[in-house]
Amino acid sequence: MGLLDIKGLKVSAGSHEILKGIDFSIEEGRTTVVFGPNGSGKSTLMGAILGLPGFNITAGSIIFKGRDITALPVHERSRMGIGLAFQYPPAVKGVRLSTLLDNIKNGDEDLHTYSEMLNMDQYLDRDINLGFSGGERKRSEILQLMVQKPDLLLLDEPESGVDIENISIISRALNLILEKDKPLRKRKRSAIIITHTGYILDYMRADTACVIVGGYILGCGSPSEILAEIREKGYSQCMECYRDMVRRDTGAGQET
Amino acid sequence: MQDKRLDEIISNENSRLEEIGYGGGLPSCGNFLVMDASVLESMYAASGLEIIPISDAIEKYPRVRDELYFSLVKKDKNEYTRLASGARPVGYYIRVEPGVKIEDPVQAAFMLASTGGTQVIHNIIDLGQGSGLNILNGCTTSCQVFQGKHVGITEVYVSEGASLSYTMLHNWGKDIEVYPVTGIHVEKNARFVSNYAAMTAVKKLVAYPTAWVEAGGSARFHSIIYSKNNSHFDMGARAVLKGEDSGAEIISRVVSEAGIVISRQMIEGLTTGCKGHMECSGLLLDEKAVIHTIPELKGAHPDINLSHEAAVGRISSKELSYLMARGLTEEEARSLIIRGFLDIGIEGIPPRIHDIIEDTIKKSVRGSV
Repeated sequence: MGLLDIKGLKVSAGSHEILKGIDFSIEEGRTTVVFGPNGSGKSTLMGAILGLPGFNITAGSIIFKGRDITALPVHERSRMGIGLAFQYPPAVKGVRLSTLLDNIKNGDEDLHTYSEMLNMDQYLDRDINLGFSGGERKRSEILQLMVQKPDLLLLDEPESGVDIENISIISRALNLILEKDKPLRKRKRSAIIITHTGYILDYMRADTACVIVGGYILGCGSPSEILAEIREKGYSQCMECYRDMVRRDTGAGQET
Repeated sequence: MQDKRLDEIISNENSRLEEIGYGGGLPSCGNFLVMDASVLESMYAASGLEIIPISDAIEKYPRVRDELYFSLVKKDKNEYTRLASGARPVGYYIRVEPGVKIEDPVQAAFMLASTGGTQVIHNIIDLGQGSGLNILNGCTTSCQVFQGKHVGITEVYVSEGASLSYTMLHNWGKDIEVYPVTGIHVEKNARFVSNYAAMTAVKKLVAYPTAWVEAGGSARFHSIIYSKNNSHFDMGARAVLKGEDSGAEIISRVVSEAGIVISRQMIEGLTTGCKGHMECSGLLLDEKAVIHTIPELKGAHPDINLSHEAAVGRISSKELSYLMARGLTEEEARSLIIRGFLDIGIEGIPPRIHDIIEDTIKKSVRGSV
């Protein structure tokens, strides 16, 4: 059994079905990168794993640490060890970043060590994300995860809207959280990284890559090979696989 | 005998008084305690400071009687000023000599101790040139009193170059009516800061303090209100910028679970170089709540700069989800957002007073973490 096991997951937003039957799992200590074009269902997958509102699970199950969490509220999933770095985190006016960190910290860590590593020291007394640039928001997200210490990190487009310097800072911190300096068998934390450009892989190593298109996972394999293929051919080849899958699921085009 | 009675009363009402910042071993340079119409404590322990009952001050100082008493607040302004002008004056007269600056605050408390009674208070604050003082006022009821009325007249004189930080904590009950009437004269280059917090239910509270600000002076009104039950607040502040380069800032934050809060704020700029800014924000927690903000600006000279921001709304579901994704329950997340909303980052008030306001907010907001 993996750290996370998803079976037959279908998720709708409003009346629109976005995930159309996902099977997915991740082992302890592993990092999986999920590729997919815009609108393919990557963020929906993350929202469903964490239980964010707006994502209605219509079928399937999500098992985390051996427990079915499909119906658990978001804060309980978070407390069980799932942490999300939002792609577009909101500003929370009036609540200082340090206040939130004090409330969520999981251990006696010195906040300043982490905040220095992420160049966030001078932002601790500011309202969460208020007036932050794109890079500052991403660094704030990673700082929160460092303090929260989840067992499963969900990283939603960690490199989008971020310059090279910030990607380098963020990935250094993520490599530390994910214990990338240790041999694979000794790593405890896992991560699912969403990306549609793959730039983050220049800075972090993933063990597996999966491609999601149109609400289906089309396949998983070597991150470097899949990325090379996407960079060469774009998602067009994947789209062809997707159309095959739709035909199979709906029976469209079959002879009667 | 008096001391014994005072000790008993303070002991019995200890927690109520401490909630409004009175006693509790807090550092202070003077104390003044009124229960109903009786002055139970009136003392001061700093040179250059005097705290005496207003009735004594009227006898002792002709200036108080002739120039200060019912000068900034007119006797016939409304039914409450008329009521106060006809009653024996009960309240404090606080005087600071020119040039004397005192860090530890004066603690003053006004307690309504008789059910159904009407407490009428008249206070005068008189700061000499270049002086400085912090005052922590608290108003509350005895723990057995649920009905009653409090009328409070306050006249504040901040002389040239002086600085007054005036903090008021209200801790009333759901059947108490409160009618303060306050006038403030901020002289040349003087500074007046008012911090107001009302975090408990009240039947009706109507207050609209007015500051008249002379050249180079400044007036700042910061208020936080947490409305519960069927409270009716009609609260605001008005700054009249009379002198050149005078300034005002009004920040009002209202959170309402239930009841009506009318937040009326006004800045009038009458002459060259006046600057003023106000922020009126309201957070509605329930359909039973109504917040009505009325920000007003009046300019009477082309060389002024007045602005305002106003917003009324609910807690953002995105912000709630975001905090819950970090492991906070919905109630904890709401509490964090509400407390953040009410934290207006008041500058220049003693840390202890800041802590008391923070504690008050924490106790009032459910689910505090």
